[in-house]
Amino acid sequence: MSGGTALMLMMKAGVLRPSRLVNLRRLGLDQFEVDSRDALNVGAMVTLRSLETSPVVRKGWPVLARTLGTLSNVRVRNVARIGGALAHGDPHMDLPPLLSALGATVTIAGPGGERTAPVESLYAGYLETTLQPGEIITQVHIPALGGRQAAYLKCTTRSADDWPALGMAVVLDGEAPRIFVSAATDRPTRLSAAEKILSGRTLDEKLIQQAAVAAREVQIDGDLHGSAAYKKHLVGVYLRRAIDEARQPSH
Amino acid sequence: MKRASQATETSQIGRSVPRLESWLKVTGRAEYVHNLRLPGMLYGKIFRSTVAHGRIRRIDTSAARAQPGVHSVVTAAEVKTVVPDPYYGPAFHDQPVLALDKVRYVGEPVAVVLASDPHVAEEAVHLITAEYDELPAVYDEVEAVSSKAIVHDALKPAGTFPDLKHLKGVKNTNVALDFRLRRGDSTKAMASAARIFEHRFRTQQVMHTPLEPLVSVAECTEDSLTIHTASQSPSFVRIEIARLLGWPENRVRVRVPFLGGGFGAKLYIKLEALVAVLSLLVKRPVKVSLSMEEQFFTITKHASTFRIKSGLSRDGRVVARECEVWWNGGAYADIGPRVTQKSGFTAPGPYDVQDVAIDSYAMYTNLPPAGALRGFGIPQLVWAYESHTDMIAREMGIDPVEFRRKNLLREGRPQATGTVMRDAAIEKVLERAAELIDWGKPFDRGSGTRRRGRGIAIGFKACIANTTSLAAVQINADGSCTVYISTVDMGQGSDTAMAQIAAEVLRLPTEAVTVVHSDTDVTPFDMATLGSRSLFHTGNAVKLAAEDARAQLDALRQQLGLPPDAAIADIFKKKYGMRAGSVTGVGNFIPPYTPPDENGQSDNATPFWMIGATGVEVAVDTETGRVRVERLVNVADVGTPINPRIVETQLSGASIMQLGFTLFEKMLFDGEGQLRNASLAEYKIPGLLDLPPEIVNEAVVAEQRTGPFGAKGVGETATFGVSPAIANAVHDAIGVRLTELPLNPEALWQALQQR
Repeated sequence: MSGGTALMLMMKAGVLRPSRLVNLRRLGLDQFEVDSRDALNVGAMVTLRSLETSPVVRKGWPVLARTLGTLSNVRVRNVARIGGALAHGDPHMDLPPLLSALGATVTIAGPGGERTAPVESLYAGYLETTLQPGEIITQVHIPALGGRQAAYLKCTTRSADDWPALGMAVVLDGEAPRIFVSAATDRPTRLSAAEKILSGRTLDEKLIQQAAVAAREVQIDGDLHGSAAYKKHLVGVYLRRAIDEARQPSH
Repeated sequence: MKRASQATETSQIGRSVPRLESWLKVTGRAEYVHNLRLPGMLYGKIFRSTVAHGRIRRIDTSAARAQPGVHSVVTAAEVKTVVPDPYYGPAFHDQPVLALDKVRYVGEPVAVVLASDPHVAEEAVHLITAEYDELPAVYDEVEAVSSKAIVHDALKPAGTFPDLKHLKGVKNTNVALDFRLRRGDSTKAMASAARIFEHRFRTQQVMHTPLEPLVSVAECTEDSLTIHTASQSPSFVRIEIARLLGWPENRVRVRVPFLGGGFGAKLYIKLEALVAVLSLLVKRPVKVSLSMEEQFFTITKHASTFRIKSGLSRDGRVVARECEVWWNGGAYADIGPRVTQKSGFTAPGPYDVQDVAIDSYAMYTNLPPAGALRGFGIPQLVWAYESHTDMIAREMGIDPVEFRRKNLLREGRPQATGTVMRDAAIEKVLERAAELIDWGKPFDRGSGTRRRGRGIAIGFKACIANTTSLAAVQINADGSCTVYISTVDMGQGSDTAMAQIAAEVLRLPTEAVTVVHSDTDVTPFDMATLGSRSLFHTGNAVKLAAEDARAQLDALRQQLGLPPDAAIADIFKKKYGMRAGSVTGVGNFIPPYTPPDENGQSDNATPFWMIGATGVEVAVDTETGRVRVERLVNVADVGTPINPRIVETQLSGASIMQLGFTLFEKMLFDGEGQLRNASLAEYKIPGLLDLPPEIVNEAVVAEQRTGPFGAKGVGETATFGVSPAIANAVHDAIGVRLTELPLNPEALWQALQQR
């Protein structure tokens, strides 16, 4: 099984009562490797913890290793798998916005064969994915970070290991930035207006402030972690902070 | 380890003896009810109410009964065949074993499915349906005073308490108890005061979250019943079960092994009446173990509203104080009326105020019941009076610590009840907390969006009275020692502390003492393990029992012509001619007490005072409203520590628990009384990443002269000052004052917007 972290909670709460659970362990999807184009190919059954502690990931995609280190807790990361983390569709997850910003794609296998899709296209709404019945995610393909600067920041409003009230992923390449927000939205959402303002320009305070204002125009939803008004405010704050974080020379 | 019979001259008091049970626990061999399985045992799973207030029209259990593997389904109708009047509770007999005629909160137990397989029982619970005629409901403790929605048709005080008698049968009210205290004339004093300050504070409903959820097992014969239960009060369980069944107490046996945390959640009766009735109905052992989630619907901590008004003299002395407190007790009183009264009388705080008025109300509402939670209401009160104190000091331009010094209740002065303060190191605790947090010294106040501040708060608690503890200490023929008490070790280290006390009297190493766990067929009566009372009460009883045993041994030595230092084993050998026999000492401890009069006045309201102060340094993110506690200092008067290491972990544990209640824990209800975050995925308690980088815990040098070897309770003391200290520090950092818990980021952000 993959996605058990979420499914078990739902089953315990009685909101999901599956008639059948399928064991995916023997599909051989628990390996990851760097390919000839320096991209990271991750089998869907790879645990979050093994990615987090991998020297290859730490060196090539430090933003991913750092993010995984703040995701839930180590007991969960030891058993949670990347395919489940992407297929759940809860906007409060950390990996969907980050992998979307990194331009990652997934390989999806189903009765009709295999297809490839950008991570961001997996999400149709709150707990709703574009996966069809009978389809599973088999691989995650994360392109080389190269010279890009990336950061993922989240704001938790209860304990430090709580689901976030907001997650913000920023990837800068000096030209066209990729920026995704989640948790404040019903799915990982690209901040296109902010991206447009920042594209091809020198990122100074004033410009970032303009982008922060533009970023607030996406549909923000309130939940138990914060009201829509509060989250709207956080979008601007975290856009600026994530850009600052990405531009830290150590990253 | 020394041999059991070998005497030691090393003092056992003040020794950080490692917990006696720690090896059992880390190797997974300590006994918990959770692991208990009896032959033929059935598991019960509970079907719960989905409405906050309603008359039960119909419960349909037919589909559940038809489910393969289901043994039976039990509702209140079946309960009544065993117990005709199935209402229980420590202060009021108001809580039915299963909902009878009415439901009073969402999550109230309505029916139970029994099956050999707990998963089958759980599946079948989903097949039960119930219909209700909904009634108007009330959720807010202040609204409940005047609400047309009445939770209980008539009040049913337990009758054992004289101060509750006047409430019997009273109708059309949600006030379960109205405690009143008057000292001097606060109205007159208020009129002559130079300045008057009035504020209103609120606290939220939270949960105990013991890592071991509530669990009980009952097994019966024709005329006897044994209950294995995770309870903090086995003696009370026996009394209450015997009362419900109309049986003599000696036919009810209550056994309690270790508990995985209690914090007040496992007091009085919780699941015990239910498993007892189920077992008697089906004539088989029955186990009910709650899930973590179900605990939200079982027992919680009171939400509260506190209106506090102070009259000040020109030079900054509090001359009058009026306190009005409303406690949200939820649908069943549990111990709420006692919280209302026993904590209520300390509502003016540890300050010397001549003229005081207190009104404290235990309110019924349509929420899950509230009871005692690590502090018995005190943290709610300290939150209000120490925020209020800081607000007055800053308003009057007086340093907050200096303002407290000026008004502190000092040794030998009467408290609001009239009881004179003795062995209460209030001044010392405040001064030491101020010193450890570097009060008055310059520090980094931060810049930009990160601002830093310091805050301090001090609170006190009167140990609950009137309560009794008994103990027996047996000296075996080889000189080893067995202690029989009904104090429950739920993680606080009582086994170790009690063994240290017995060992000190008998000049044995602590490791030579075994503590027998509570079993009402074996161990003597004890009121309960609650309110930091056990070290003082049971500790005194153990000391008396050990002294009794020692006196008997001394007498035997003399009788047998043995020298005064003869080894214990030699006494028995000489007396019986072989290794045989034993000596049992008994101890019965009940401290003196004077019940309060109609104005709440008493010359002896409590056996001892607990004093706790907290100092913090916080950093506030002014853009997000997030508060990070960077330094946390807890100082307490615990008398003379028996085991300094355990004292330290009790102080840090209590403060961390209160940190969660301060910053983010909150049970969130919607307008229909439905709990929206009934799981640990959505109700968060502090994790390691939430801990302050620096935590300092210290017990001041003090002595409780009436305590065993100068000791008194410690389990709750570090909860007192945490919440107001943080709020005071936040105000110091950014000039924003919050009056409602928790101090979550959004609340702070909103306050910043309005500034």
